[in-house]
Amino acid sequence: MFGAFRITNPLSGGLLWKIPWRMSKFQKLRQRRRLRAVDEVVATLDAALAKQGETLKALDRWKEEMPTEAEMLPKDKYTIFDRKAKRYRKGIHKVPKWTRVSQRVNPPGY
Amino acid sequence: MSWFRITLHRSAIGLPERTHGVLKALGLRRRSQVVFHPVEPQFAGMIMKVKELVKVEEVERPLSKWEIKNERRPDAGFYVEKAAPRDGGAVLRRLRQLRGEDVVDEEVKL
Repeated sequence: MFGAFRITNPLSGGLLWKIPWRMSKFQKLRQRRRLRAVDEVVATLDAALAKQGETLKALDRWKEEMPTEAEMLPKDKYTIFDRKAKRYRKGIHKVPKWTRVSQRVNPPGY
Repeated sequence: MSWFRITLHRSAIGLPERTHGVLKALGLRRRSQVVFHPVEPQFAGMIMKVKELVKVEEVERPLSKWEIKNERRPDAGFYVEKAAPRDGGAVLRRLRQLRGEDVVDEEVKL
């Protein structure tokens, strides 16, 4: 029952990775920092281009569509819409490469 | 003319081939590498594509390789005293002045 030869799912069945259903407070903290880091990059680009009087379509679109970290609801920071999940939400940490992709908006009403 | 100082903060391992291509085009090959590009919409657009992976600042001029290296160099914690130039004649001249003799400006090694 105990010890090195106990029967558990990872030991008897090979590969089993479990992702907790919700994020820890430290994961959430780092997620907020990453969101802010992206906001900072966008703000730097915007300020630098505005000084030269240039515009960038991708930048304008981002500013129009994407909320900043401060404007986002906690719900949107840490969860994402999923049509298969119960109540249509799952943790954003279940998204592949979630620390390096921008996922900020969800379908209206969900 | 101002420049973007771009630092690769996160690796693009496991991200789409396009993302790798953008980093290659920016000249970023390894994490913590710093490159400089002029503030132009072309480069801003490229940074926009990899905004989750880089840190960006706007700077006045591009730094050389050695300047970037020196930024990272920690403080040595000591400095070497330089030997002060000795002017033994100053004492003699002052003595002669006090005695009322005519002073000849000459250096005397004691």
